[in-house]
Amino acid sequence: MSVVSAPSPASVFLRELRKVAAFFRRDLLTAWSYRLAFFTSWLSLLVQVVLFNFMGQIVAVDKLPTYGSGLITYLEFVAVGIALTTFMQIALTRVQAALRGEQLMGTLESLLLTPTTSSTVQFGSVAYDLVFVPIRMGIFFALVALVFGASFSWSGLLPAMVIVMVFIPFVWGLGVASAASMLTFRTSRGVVGYGILALALTSGAFFPLEVFPSWAQDLARLNPLAIAVQGTREAMLGGTGWSGITGDLMRILPFSLATPLIGAFAFRGALRRERRKGTLGLY
Amino acid sequence: MGYEARSSARVPRAMVMQATDPETTVSVLDLAAPPAIELDRVTRRFKDKVALDEVSMELRHGEIHALLGPNGAGKTTLLRILAGLADPDSGEVYFDGQVGNDSGRFGRGRFIGLIPSGERTFYMRISGLENLLFFARLHGLRRRYALRRSLECLEAVGLSEVGKLRVGQYSHGMQRRLAIARALLTDPPILLADEPTQGLDPQGARTVKELVREAAARGTAVMWTTQYVDEIRGFADTLTLLNKGTVRFQGSVPELMATTSARRYLLHLGGAADAFLTAHSVIVRVGSMSPNGAPGHYVLALHDGIVLGHALALLTGAGVDVLACREERSEVEEAFLNLTKERI
Repeated sequence: MSVVSAPSPASVFLRELRKVAAFFRRDLLTAWSYRLAFFTSWLSLLVQVVLFNFMGQIVAVDKLPTYGSGLITYLEFVAVGIALTTFMQIALTRVQAALRGEQLMGTLESLLLTPTTSSTVQFGSVAYDLVFVPIRMGIFFALVALVFGASFSWSGLLPAMVIVMVFIPFVWGLGVASAASMLTFRTSRGVVGYGILALALTSGAFFPLEVFPSWAQDLARLNPLAIAVQGTREAMLGGTGWSGITGDLMRILPFSLATPLIGAFAFRGALRRERRKGTLGLY
Repeated sequence: MGYEARSSARVPRAMVMQATDPETTVSVLDLAAPPAIELDRVTRRFKDKVALDEVSMELRHGEIHALLGPNGAGKTTLLRILAGLADPDSGEVYFDGQVGNDSGRFGRGRFIGLIPSGERTFYMRISGLENLLFFARLHGLRRRYALRRSLECLEAVGLSEVGKLRVGQYSHGMQRRLAIARALLTDPPILLADEPTQGLDPQGARTVKELVREAAARGTAVMWTTQYVDEIRGFADTLTLLNKGTVRFQGSVPELMATTSARRYLLHLGGAADAFLTAHSVIVRVGSMSPNGAPGHYVLALHDGIVLGHALALLTGAGVDVLACREERSEVEEAFLNLTKERI
């Protein structure tokens, strides 16, 4: 006698979602076990704000682009860039760093032996950061506004969040692709590091794109991070409404549709290759 | 909750399985059930090196099958293939009669528990209980049940008292026991144990074996790899002896022992100082004797066809006091060496 009832896709989805909560708890407990690092990361955030505040005092406001009707300070200009590049850096490196950590700890095979999809493993590995980083970004903006008097258009907060939401899949896809590269080559720090540097440098996060030669400006405007930074600034600093960000969203969207597919394809391929070679747990 | 512990009765050649997937209910009872694991001419190469060469075997529910072999025999490769962590180059793996080469989206963790050989297979910064809870939740157990099950498994392996300590503070033996607790979280129908007693003291090894034996008594099919040949006596029901990827022997432990007989013994002689000379003069007809370190201790090697009783009769007849006599190596070890020596 054999009775088998297959689970519905909805129940599978819910079950996998519950596993993400388990990853979150694991990473929260692990982070909390390094209490000093947990607190010093907040301290470094404060130092970063102070540093850019002082740097902002030597940058003339008329050298900066204008958003909305008025001039902006360098601190206001750079705050959006810092928030997005920090977010991108974590999203890009976290999946591969988590998997590398699992390999080095010897837990990767135990993890992959559980009935958990590779997507859940990827998503679960960044669940803690997906909660922690926005909180950190929020506190960062609050600090910049309350302590150093930076002025943001809070009505632009929701459109800015939508830009970030549309931007996330792009970074996520790149992060998963870098994790695939790590599985295959055992290290991808160099490739990922240079990738982040190139994207950040041409994003206009720390200085206006207008300082580049015109041909470089044209190239930089294809950078999804540059588009996201520009759109977020328009929303947060210029108070642009939904109509002002639609063009930016449309330009980010193709990247955000393509890279998750590329990432998932690369990751599955890397896992399959490791299984075929029998070297999954080796480092 | 779809998860239930299986019957505690031993159920050889039959399977009673409740799936570990809470959303899936699988209930199978078939007295003519196919083997829990069946390997059909599985071959695996690493570049030019043949790790497994057309290995075939069967393992039934409730059975403990020892996979024996020296270092590099292919034991871990075989276990990794069974666990779905590596693919065979050719051959088929069947689980309960179903082809298992495609491990599917959810892997084989639904029905396989693995006790890996490595020491560091846990998150060192969080507690043993939190580790178990994490893996239980990845197996699909809901939080409350996962907690209860984790506590039960900690209790079963004798780690309740240290459940809230970080795993980084656990000894090697405690980590091994925790690995068993993890493998038993879902009471899987198949348990793969990769040298689980390696580095454990005798008491620790005995505890691990008892836990695995209990799992087998509940119907779990156990594949147990080891290179400690004597630990399978009185423990494994059947065994496969691998050497350099090829099967050198398959059968029961008594059948393995029957392939050889001990030819060398350790003797402890008492009496006068010239006891050795006397013993040597009579033993030379049936074998040879040589000193073995401490005074009064010797190694007795017998010629083919000579039984131990004959040699002992000669010694006692010559007035030599034989205080103790035991095999230099067990019959299992002797068989192991005989079956692997030409290739080591």
